[in-house]
Amino acid sequence: MSEKIFFNFTVTADSHKLEPYRERGGYKALETALKTLQPIDVEKEVMASGLRGRGGAGFPTGSKWSFVNKKAPVVYLCCNADEGEPGTFKDRWIFEYNSHQLIEGMLLAAYALNVRNAFIYIRGEFDLSFRRLMEAMGEAYNAGYIGENILGSGFSCDIRVMQGGGAYVCGEESSLYTSIEGFKGYPRNKPPFPAIQGLYNAPTVVNNVETLANVPWIINNGAKAFTAMGTEKHPGTKIFCVSGHVKKPGLYELPLGYPLKQLIYENCGGILNDKQLKAVIPGGSSSPILPAKDVETANLDAECLGTFRTMLGSGGVIVIAEGVCMVRLLQVLSRFYAHESCGQCTPCREGTAWMNDIISRIVAGKGVKGDMESLERITKGIMGNTVCALGDAAAMPVINIITKFREEFDYYIEHGRSMNDGRLEI
Amino acid sequence: MIELKIDNQTIETQDGDTVLTAALRHGIDIPHFCFHPCLSIAGNCRICLVQVNGRPKLMPACNLPITPGMEIETNSEPVRAARRAVMQFITLNHPVDCGICDKAGECRLQDYQVKYGDEPFAIEPKHHKPKFYDLSSRIVLDDERCILCSRCVRFTREISGTAQLGIVERGSHSRVERLDGKTFDDPYSDNVTDICPVGALLRRDFLYKSRVWYLEPVRSVCTSCARGCSINVWKRTHHWRVRSLGEEKNRMVYRITPFDNPEINGPWICNKGFDLPTFMSRPRVLRPAIHGAAASIDDIIEETKRLLSQAKKPAALVSAHASNEELAAFKDTLGDKVVVYTRQDNSPEPGDVIEDSILIRADKNPNSAGVTALFEPKAFNPSAGHDLILVWGEGVAFSSLGAATIIHLTSFEAPQEKTADIVIPISTFFEKSGSFTNFEGKRNCFKKVFEKPELVQHIGQLFGRLSA
Repeated sequence: MSEKIFFNFTVTADSHKLEPYRERGGYKALETALKTLQPIDVEKEVMASGLRGRGGAGFPTGSKWSFVNKKAPVVYLCCNADEGEPGTFKDRWIFEYNSHQLIEGMLLAAYALNVRNAFIYIRGEFDLSFRRLMEAMGEAYNAGYIGENILGSGFSCDIRVMQGGGAYVCGEESSLYTSIEGFKGYPRNKPPFPAIQGLYNAPTVVNNVETLANVPWIINNGAKAFTAMGTEKHPGTKIFCVSGHVKKPGLYELPLGYPLKQLIYENCGGILNDKQLKAVIPGGSSSPILPAKDVETANLDAECLGTFRTMLGSGGVIVIAEGVCMVRLLQVLSRFYAHESCGQCTPCREGTAWMNDIISRIVAGKGVKGDMESLERITKGIMGNTVCALGDAAAMPVINIITKFREEFDYYIEHGRSMNDGRLEI
Repeated sequence: MIELKIDNQTIETQDGDTVLTAALRHGIDIPHFCFHPCLSIAGNCRICLVQVNGRPKLMPACNLPITPGMEIETNSEPVRAARRAVMQFITLNHPVDCGICDKAGECRLQDYQVKYGDEPFAIEPKHHKPKFYDLSSRIVLDDERCILCSRCVRFTREISGTAQLGIVERGSHSRVERLDGKTFDDPYSDNVTDICPVGALLRRDFLYKSRVWYLEPVRSVCTSCARGCSINVWKRTHHWRVRSLGEEKNRMVYRITPFDNPEINGPWICNKGFDLPTFMSRPRVLRPAIHGAAASIDDIIEETKRLLSQAKKPAALVSAHASNEELAAFKDTLGDKVVVYTRQDNSPEPGDVIEDSILIRADKNPNSAGVTALFEPKAFNPSAGHDLILVWGEGVAFSSLGAATIIHLTSFEAPQEKTADIVIPISTFFEKSGSFTNFEGKRNCFKKVFEKPELVQHIGQLFGRLSA
């Protein structure tokens, strides 16, 4: 087994506190960086490690940092902890059991980017996570890791924690900082990109929790050790959140490029009741679905999943066993997106609600011929035409599920009932 | 200067433009709902999507800064497909009640549906939202017609500054609503009906009054304050003046809309301007009279001339509602025969906004600057011993003028404790052409909207006859 970045200690009642974290080697990276490294060295190290965003899009973190003008009077760093993607629950673990790792990562990023004020936008529904984070923040402030003149280096950085109001769309970077500013969480049009004009119109970097929490390890162990894990184009490890019909659902930290089949059948112990596998949603609800035959060969990294026309996303692996009605599954997804569309731009606002109407109608047994064509048309109208990626995220599962499981939809429309009624015995 | 190509047409434009503004300036039409030149860019209607350098991902033209060598396609197949899709999304839950919609005929949604839309796509059931919902006593909102372009919201935030409107709820439940306090008493509130690209925001006083294609605009100037905003006065077109409608409806100002004049008011006017028809429909003086008894105009002129020539110390109170041309005519004819006093016809009424930093001025008369340009400002002095006073315009209490003979030149009836000796009805600014000079010294011309009533006099001609 390769080395672990997150799950490398035994969770005890106190393991999330500062002292146990320091005993594990915590805040050593920060000390090293502040005392021996220049900010540009930290950036270079992250760039060399090939670390890619863990939130969904998989954008190289080093390049994201390099776009920012560090000489600007104010640069902001936002940690995107609005973990709203259905099927994803990795950031929550980091907050609950290792908040200090995130804080250290944020301070390193802040040092590299010349950030004075950093923000953590934490999902409003996270309660224990929020309390643990605040506890850790208090400890770190008291220990002098955050605040004025950190460890006597002359570098100062404050971290503020913002709680979200429960909107999925606020996990989109521009709506995240719009929300931090106190406005309704509407995504903004790009250009201007956040690296030029983001939070309070200053250059802003928005990084996922897991991405930032990787940084201390990279500084401690060097970029080489990081690139040794995972694949060449997508190095490192990733926390996979396995949910659905498996025997042992939960969080698994694995090197990227790990075979999906192995994850399901070895790590997670196989499908519940030893049923057949039907499909897997590999990266949170927005990623296109993988039918069982593709699961055989798919590896969990961005490039390999890209060849299957899906994506790694946030690492929320949702396993679907035989007997699941895909029409109802799609209804759950479409209802989520219709509910979470912010309503700013036309295609997403109207399209998600319309798709949900059609799918709900089919589920109610009132589907009509032509509904499938309408759905295809709507997804085409939404994809690529919206302000932010929520429109694409809503349309992609729909178009994928209806093309890959077309016969189930046709059956449902024709007979007014599901092809899989009563067969799901789990 | 930056050169770029839009639809294979090379255009030169300045730095800082967006593709949409550059295209509009060069006469290339890119459809747009939410974009308004005086408001911030929202980019939410998505109808202005264009193709850049042949890339498959479409970009909204309103938010796309121009770069040299850019090649924009506004009519390629992907663009047309996206427009069809957007039109379909917008019209999805639209009630299509154009038959009873005041905006029909000047509605962007109608225009674009004809130009860019696809076959209508019926869904059952449609989602319903509040209809004909009063935002204030002046404005009615129809949420079903609203396309959530947020122009009205941005107007109250960026132009009038009251931030009284906002979009509440999320997703397809979004709707425009009054925010905190639930009031929409913005002194500029009616502008939202003018910038609304569809028939969602409507004015109570124009509701169901007329179809817009029966009307035509006449460019005019608002007389509510010294700003002198350019306005359009909407009256029935000549060939739609139908006798069966009756004289009143054929000769009626249906509505006032702002005329976009960047030098004076931009595309906005205040609510007082929108209310101009009410101001102008006060009871008129239509017949000349001597001591309250009707008389022919020739008799009146003879009598007035006689009084003027006999007067030992005549004076004139000049109106700040008079046009520059009338003032010049007065100066040429009677100006040196009488003592001229300047004054203000109108002063702020209770409840009016006195002055603000947007448009409204404290001086509620359109041509005070024109008056002071010709005559030395001098307030009336009751102890100067005038035996004859020519009162031109409104707002003078005759009881304050002493025992002098009063010749009143006016358009509107006003209750007075003392009747004027001679009353001569004069035309309003709707009945003549002319110009006003606003407080910044900018001349602004207005055109005749209606013919004057028969016995009413144009004051310029009247002065000519009086001095002959």
